[in-house]
Parts: sequence; structure tokens; C-alpha cells
Amino acid sequence: MSMALFSPPHLPSTLSSSRPNYSSPLKLSLLPLHLSKRNLVLLPTKAVNVGEEVTNSAVKVEEKKLDEKDEKEELGVGSEGVKFGDPRWVGGTWDLKQFVKGGSTDWDAVIDAEARRRKWLIDNPESSSNDDPVVFDTSIIPWWSWVKRFHLPEAELLNGRAAMVGFFMAYFVDSLTGVGLVDQMGNFFCKTLLFVAVLGVLLIRKNEDIDTLKKLFEETTFYDKQWQATWQDENASSPKD
Amino acid sequence: MATIDQAFAGLRRLPSSHHRHSPKSHHHLRRPTHIVAARSSPKLSGRPLRVAVIGGGPAGGAAAETLAKGGVETFLIERKLDNAKPCGGAIPLCMVGEFDLPLDIIDRRVTKMKMISPSNVAVDIGQTLKPHEYIGMVRREVLDAYLRERASSAGATVINGLFLKMDLPPPQDPSAPYTLHYNLYDGSASGTKQSLSVDAVIGADGANSRVAKSIDAGDYEYAIAFQERIKIPKSKMAYYENLAEMYVGDDVSPDFYGWVFPKCDHVAVGTGTVTHKGDIKKFQAATRNRAKEKIEGGRIIRVEAHPIPEHPRPRRVAGRVALVGDAAGYVTKCSGEGIYFAAKSGRMCAEAVVEGSEGGRRMVEEGDFRGYLEKWDKTYWPTYKVLDVLQKVFYRSNPAREAFVEMCADEYVQKMTFDSYLYKTVVPGNPLEDLKLAVNTIGSLVRANALKREMDKITL
Ligand SMILES: Cc1cc2nc3c(=O)[nH]c(=O)nc-3n(C[C@H](O)[C@H](O)[C@H](O)COP(=O)(O)OP(=O)(O)OC[C@H]3O[C@@H](n4cnc5c(N)ncnc54)[C@H](O)[C@@H]3O)c2cc1C
Repeated sequence: MSMALFSPPHLPSTLSSSRPNYSSPLKLSLLPLHLSKRNLVLLPTKAVNVGEEVTNSAVKVEEKKLDEKDEKEELGVGSEGVKFGDPRWVGGTWDLKQFVKGGSTDWDAVIDAEARRRKWLIDNPESSSNDDPVVFDTSIIPWWSWVKRFHLPEAELLNGRAAMVGFFMAYFVDSLTGVGLVDQMGNFFCKTLLFVAVLGVLLIRKNEDIDTLKKLFEETTFYDKQWQATWQDENASSPKD
Repeated sequence: MATIDQAFAGLRRLPSSHHRHSPKSHHHLRRPTHIVAARSSPKLSGRPLRVAVIGGGPAGGAAAETLAKGGVETFLIERKLDNAKPCGGAIPLCMVGEFDLPLDIIDRRVTKMKMISPSNVAVDIGQTLKPHEYIGMVRREVLDAYLRERASSAGATVINGLFLKMDLPPPQDPSAPYTLHYNLYDGSASGTKQSLSVDAVIGADGANSRVAKSIDAGDYEYAIAFQERIKIPKSKMAYYENLAEMYVGDDVSPDFYGWVFPKCDHVAVGTGTVTHKGDIKKFQAATRNRAKEKIEGGRIIRVEAHPIPEHPRPRRVAGRVALVGDAAGYVTKCSGEGIYFAAKSGRMCAEAVVEGSEGGRRMVEEGDFRGYLEKWDKTYWPTYKVLDVLQKVFYRSNPAREAFVEMCADEYVQKMTFDSYLYKTVVPGNPLEDLKLAVNTIGSLVRANALKREMDKITL
């Protein structure tokens, strides 16, 4: 069984050798923003665990050894996993020499290449490797090329969804101050983290639909309520106070 | 919209409803109001206060020791004395000092913590550790037995039995004892039914707490954590000598992280989730896959799964019964840390009992236990809340995770997080560094998000 768990996803052999097509990055960026999320043409690699029976029922939560018969089995003697490959991906990073266009680095193409790599990894999560570490760091791409590239979509933030986003931020800040968190954080570092977290919500979540945000509100209030329940309970049960 | 308004209202209402106690204070936690109450409680004649602690994990062990040392007649009921609680076993440095743990129960000292992003960017977040600083890795059967042993030598009676239920005092006589029913494991095949009368009960019986059920404490949301103990070849084990790994990504868990923790002679590989419990085996397979190169050829020697509470139960104290540790729901988000908080809450609760009973000489009251709750929430609630927010933001999508890992590459972040984790106190930050951090992190978030937007446009 565990051998099956470790065996790589069955990909059509063409996929592993085919190279992403980078011919028209500019056109790509002109496409409308809301392309359907996962309209993948190739469908083979749904899950990593080929051959494993994933039951739909939740795992039994009592503590116990689940599967004693597993004991003697060996892990991972399967064949090599399918790795991301691109001639410009060398030694765990993008070989910038291959991105030179007209004497300077074509950062747009680097962004495209990395976006593709990350997309690929979503469906083909790769083993992390000590011998072949990923050293690519997005911060090597200069800030102006992000700005240039993403100028238009960012502007959208200023009008359309601003209301929703502002709303959420107000909620967040308010919930944090309302329950006294910001007051109680004597520590500036934690305040910074919270601040960044709020911004994170702005930046990351603005692409998500309102339902997801609603769910997050609910979770957050639920969490606060659970902590406060003890104290409400006391108020109700001890009028002598 | 309406729900949000209600949310606001709900949050707002609390502080104001307490304003009689603390008009100037903004926070929602009550000030101590009737600490004196216990002093008026009846003096016990001819016997010390009797308290039963249910569950002999870190919470129960610590509680029982403090009670026994404080002059209380203590019974510690544990169903399985060699229990190896499914657990990663990572403890912060301050626990070693605060609980005076002997160094030989620490299997490994982790000084390198690798955090690995969805795109396999790995950062070592232990670079700022000083030579004497480490994360301790313990085996729970060893730690728990040690703490129980200490309770026992302080005078607690350790009973090997399964707690079944308890009879609460009748409403007309609220100071009557609690009668506990348990199955004593005395060597006979099915054990013998026994009962025990006590003045107060501390429920330290973990996530599936029966004490919580007995007092109708309500439920909590929980994560399911899955873990495999894998014996890997010696050559591979060398890499995990003093190193632990955390993997983040949608493949590994939609809302938590996957881990490889070194144990005495094997590694523990696991993951957890709240939102997609049914898929836990898939996430486990993915975690193994991400660590594949490093654990290849390993043999699974044990598979375990256990719930992890997400937040406290609605009621943690009722009458003279209090919950501590996992039974109460004290595991942090983000890190999933619960051992230290279990031991700490056990001790804090026991201290409140010792204090309220003036060393076991007086009866205790609900107010004494409330004193523990109050102190607990005041001390730790901000920690839980910050980690909850961070988890919601950083663990829920791949771009956020990429940014999180980038953020963790920053030395200042490492120093601050490790300081907070290891010592549970936060040193004042450096405003300039904080500012830099904010700017950098926002940069990371923007980049990760921009890439995500590109990814959405691509079809492979
Ligand atoms: C997979 C996993 C990994 C984790 N990794 C970490 C980690 O690395 N670091 C960390 O800090 N935390 C970790 N945690 C959380 C940590 O395990 C818990 O928070 C901690 O064990 C809580 O301690 P406790 O004493 O409250 O409860 P427990 O440790 O659950 O102890 C409860 C005890 O009560 C006994 N008991 C239960 N019911 C009865 C009964 N009816 N009668 C008698 N006895 C009873 C049980 O046998 C047990 O010994 C992890 C949790 C899981 C599930």
C-alpha cells in the first residue's frame, strides 16, 4: 500500500517532456482578469495518492494505532516523481542570462515563467530536495517591473471593490480594537504583524468572492465568541455582581 | 450586512457590560472582584481539601503536583500509565526551566527549523538562535510519566483507572462533594468499578474530555491531526539530527501545516486540518511526498490520529469543576502548540485552588476557579488571538503562504518569533525594524498575489 502512495502521479508521457509555451506573454496579460480558475486542459493528476483509498468519512478521532499492518512496509521505493522542467530553470532558479532581451533582462518573461512554474506545482507538488534546493527569490525582480506589469489591475482596487475591502478592513481593525487586542498588545512587533495581516487580507483576499469573506467574518466572530462565552455565562448566572 | 452589524454589536457589548467593574479598561476581561470570597468559605475540620485531577497528561501532571505541594489531598486518575499521546512533542525552551525538566527526557534539541513554501522555497528560521537555545523534542510517554511521577512524590495518589462519570452536588446542597465513578485497572480483566468523593475536580482529560461532558461545557471546533512515525535509514536520519521541517501548501493542508519532527530514533511526519477532515489521508500522502527524498526507504512504525481543539469550550468552569489543557481547548493556532499551555493551565488552576483554600484548609468556591480563568485569559488571550489572525491570513492560500515563507526569511522576524515561542514573553520590538518588516512583507504579499493572478490566466 505505501508503495502505491509514493508512486508518482500517472502523467501522459507527453506532458513531462512538453515545454510551456512562452511565445506571447504580453497577450496573456491582456486577457480579461477573471478567467475561470482551473480550466486545465490536461486532467490526469488530480491527486498524489494514486491507489490509496481515501474514505469520505472523517478519520476516527479516538487515539489509537490506526493501521498496525502498516508496520513492516517500506516507504518510497517507487520511481522518480515528475519534476518541473524548463531549460531556463537551472540550479533551482531562473537562469537570468537566458532572459536577456535587447541587452537587459526581460523581467516580464521571468514573471511569466515563475507563474507557470507555480501553476504546475499546484497540480504536481514536488518533493523538496536538499541536493537541488529552490533558491529563486521573487524579490530579485525589481519593483518597477511589478508596478509596470500590474499597474492596471491594481487600480481597480481603488474603485470597484474598495467598498467591500474597506468594509472588511474596518471590521477587522474594529474587531481587534473592540475586544481590546490592540490595546493589550503592548508589543509593537505584534501590532506590526496584525497590521500586515490586515493588509494581507486586502491584497490576497480581494480576488475572492464575497461568500468567502463572509465565511471569514463568521469564523472570526465565532472565535471571539467562544472566548467570551465564559464571561457572558458568568454575567447571566451571577446577578449578584 | 446585518450579520456584520451584529458582529460589531456582539464585540462591543462586552466591554460595556463590564464597565461597572473597570470603567476605564477597554478590554473585555473582568477585573478580580471577589478574591476575598474564598476567605469566608468554611474551614474544613479534620481533613484537607480533596481534589481529583482527571487525566495524567501534562495538564493533569502539573496540576496534581502543584495541588499536592500546596497541601491539598490530591488524586490523579489516568487510564493508561504508559500512554503515548499522539503528539509532535515539541516544547519551548521556557518549559524546561519553568517546569524544571531534566535534560535527559529531551530526545533532541532542534536548532534548525525549515519552513518550506508551496513552490519549495525553504528558509531556515533558526538562524538567530543563540548557542544555548533550542526547541526540545520529547516523547510524550516519557514526559507524561515523569510529570506524574513528580506529582506522586509530592504526595498525590496516582490511580490507574478510567473515569466514567460524576454525580454533581444536589442543587439544595451545593457544597456537598462530587462523587466520581471510575473503573479501576487493578489487574483484573475488565477492572473494578469504584467511586471517590471529592470537593473539587480538575478536568485534564484531553480533547475527548468526559469531565467536560459531565458539566455540559459545550463543544469546540477541532482540527484532526494525523501523524506517522517513520523509521528512516541512519544516513537520512543524520539530516534530521537537530532539524525539524514545516511544509505549507494547499497540497499538504488547506489550513494548517505538515511537519517532519525528529524523535529519538525516528521521525514523526504529520499534518492537520479543520476544514477538510475527510481528506486528511490525502494530505498526509502529500506531506510524505513533499518530504519524500529525505525519508525515502523509511518504514512506518506507527500511525496515529487525534483531534486538536481550535478554541476554548464555552464553559470552562462550573461550580467546583474546572477544565485545563486540551479539555478546556488551549491549543494555539498557527503553531498547534498545546503541551506548554496544558501544563501551564494545570498549574495555574491548581495554584488558584491552593490559594483559595489557604493551603487545603478551607473549602473552595466557583470564584476561586474563576480567578484562574481570569488570569489565564488575561495572560494568554492576546497570544491566541494574534495566532488565530495570522493563521487565517497566512495559511489559507498559496500566495499568502509564499509571502509568509519569504517573511520568515527575515532575521528580525526569526528572532522575534523564536523569542516569543521559546520564552512566551515578547521583548519590545524595534520600531525601525518593524517598519522595514511591514514594507518587506507587503512587498512579498504583492508579488505573491501578482503571480497568483498570472497563474489564474494560464492554462498549462
Ligand atoms: C498529532 C499531534 C501533534 C501535536 N504536536 C504538538 C507539538 O509538537 N507541540 C505541542 O506543544 N503540542 C502538540 N500537540 C498538542 C498537544 O498534544 C496537546 O495540546 C497536549 O497533549 C494537551 O495536554 P493535556 O494534558 O491537556 O491532554 P492530553 O495530553 O490529551 O492528556 C489527557 C490524558 O488524560 C487521559 N484520559 C483521557 N480520558 C480519561 C478518562 N476518562 N479517565 C482517565 N484518564 C483519561 C489520557 O489517557 C491522557 O493521558 C499535538 C497534538 C496532536 C494531535
